Amino acid sequence: MVRLEKDRFDDFIRSLLADYAVYAAVTADGKSGFKVIKAAQEIDRRRLVTDRSPKEVFFPHSEVIFEYDKDGVREIEKAGKPIAIWGLRGCDVKSLSMLDKVFGSARQMPDDEMFQDPYWKKKYDTSLLFCIACNEPRSTCFCNWLGGDPHSGEGSDVFVIDAGDAFLMQPGSEKGKAFIEKTADLKPASGAEERQAAELAAGARAMMDRPVALDDLNERLKELFHTDIWEDMSGKCVNCGACAFVCSTCHCFDMQDEGKGGKGKRIRIWDSCMFPIFTKEASGHNPRHLSKDRFRQRVMHKYSYFADNYGESLCTGCGRCVVACPVGIDIREVIKHVLSYESKGAR
Amino acid sequence: MVNELREKAKKLLADKDVELVIGWERGSRALAATPVFIDSPEEADRLIFDSTCGNNPAVYFTKDARRLVKDGKRIGVVVKGCDARSLALYLAEKQVKRENIVIIGVPCRGVIDPDKVATRTGGREVLEYSEDDGKVTVKGRDLDLTFDARDVLSSSCLACVHRNAKEYDLFIGEMRDGTADKDQNAAIDEFEKLEPEERWERMKEMYSKCIRCYACRNVCPSCYCNECFVDQNDPQWIGKTHEITDTLIFHIIRNLHVAGRCVECGACERACPMGLNLLLLNRKVAREVEERFGYITGIDSGEKPAMADFREGEKQDFIMG
Repeated sequence: MVRLEKDRFDDFIRSLLADYAVYAAVTADGKSGFKVIKAAQEIDRRRLVTDRSPKEVFFPHSEVIFEYDKDGVREIEKAGKPIAIWGLRGCDVKSLSMLDKVFGSARQMPDDEMFQDPYWKKKYDTSLLFCIACNEPRSTCFCNWLGGDPHSGEGSDVFVIDAGDAFLMQPGSEKGKAFIEKTADLKPASGAEERQAAELAAGARAMMDRPVALDDLNERLKELFHTDIWEDMSGKCVNCGACAFVCSTCHCFDMQDEGKGGKGKRIRIWDSCMFPIFTKEASGHNPRHLSKDRFRQRVMHKYSYFADNYGESLCTGCGRCVVACPVGIDIREVIKHVLSYESKGAR
Repeated sequence: MVNELREKAKKLLADKDVELVIGWERGSRALAATPVFIDSPEEADRLIFDSTCGNNPAVYFTKDARRLVKDGKRIGVVVKGCDARSLALYLAEKQVKRENIVIIGVPCRGVIDPDKVATRTGGREVLEYSEDDGKVTVKGRDLDLTFDARDVLSSSCLACVHRNAKEYDLFIGEMRDGTADKDQNAAIDEFEKLEPEERWERMKEMYSKCIRCYACRNVCPSCYCNECFVDQNDPQWIGKTHEITDTLIFHIIRNLHVAGRCVECGACERACPMGLNLLLLNRKVAREVEERFGYITGIDSGEKPAMADFREGEKQDFIMG
């Protein structure tokens, strides 16, 4: 473990900027998200979980994939420095590694190489991710339900602990190790600081509610697919996409061609299963035309279908949806309700 | 007041006068109560009412292709002044039948804007909320602050002069008068005075933060088209990106679709996860409608909405610009 004096933080970011396009939590008009920064002063260091999730760094809301005209198709060259993100939380890093299973990785399914997404991969594979420990989790945080921990840096390149006067850093990958070795300002942390790190971790864990065991969740969801529970739970849902769009793991998208005359572009745009048009067929029929059908889909995708395909829930417990839902639906209550529901019989 | 609300709701349900009562209950976030559907007297004790009850429950009458009202169920609904205006609009637009709703008015003091509270607390999380006689107290880890409710009220509420339901079946507690805050109208005055270029810049800056989640549209009782124009793809009227041209078209068209129909409840603004000041344009249009047509939305359920009516002698100068 090494240490960075906080009064050297500006220099640290400056040196990072030399080699990377640096993203960090920035707050404007009260709302925060990961944005490109030019100096350390722009970073909102008090922000725990940002309003907008970091998925947009690698998977933006609208991304032009290619342009076309009479002469053919041209890929959009996105040259530039590799991306470094400062200030991700453990849940954020985890969400990116989940998205990488979908977009980038060949690890999961035999034919996955076919489905690697070059637009994601190019950015994600060369990135340097700094994960900062949560010393004070929020009441909406429930990473511990999903195998996370406020002091976990799993999946990051450098794990950072805010220890008052200094940031303590622990490399988590070869890339992270190489970065720390070449960064001059980093000195070994003292034994006292390492003990402090352990105390902060214990303190953070103690601030969180006891986790709910989710071992049976996938199976329960499958059992309840055809029951009234969805009607019960979705009654107040207004089917907007706030949950999906602030979610760090929701990754459904739409493809749109915007063209005029002989030329145009293809754009990949965030979409959400909450919207009726998401499943509307050309005939006009919509297999998920009711609110409850769409609500069920979102829950099933997160805690059942993704778990079947990739062995874990598509949720990190960041709590962004809990904060953003305009009608106060709390996904934790949904999960608890599913686990404790006594079926009134299939319909 | 809350006890009386619960008792009345229990009685309505026990007497089978209504099958359902829509109101609010305490949710998991301190600053925002959550809508609740009560269908048995035993559940009625979940009902609450205070300044965290920001949603407009009228939206549930038209949500999901009007499923709730289709089978002619009689429904009780707890309403603030603005929510009652939405019901009056629904009556005027024949979306609900008067005999199928029981309007339960509650005395509103305005609702909290959680974003304004966040500014006060410097982003520290609020875990407890209480209110007493115009004061609001918020508590959390290393946080204990009391301030005037007016400092954190939603901008819609500061401008509100219709705090009480005008048309109701039951009114719980004591009616309170609303007095519009001059500053809130000053924001529209200022917007009107801007040069067109400046106004355009202001709008571009604001709407560029939109992520197209449509929370504003979906919590809005006045937005109840069976199929919104943004959800149509044959023809597709509007691009789906978050480019400013696409985003602005959505917001401006929505704004004009609710002209003379918006009750200025502010539900859209409070729903916006990106904190857009959505009410500015809505209130500007409402002012325009009032000045030109002498019409205020949702005050009289017997009056045709301004855009659905034509009267001889109406000012028509706007047609020529």
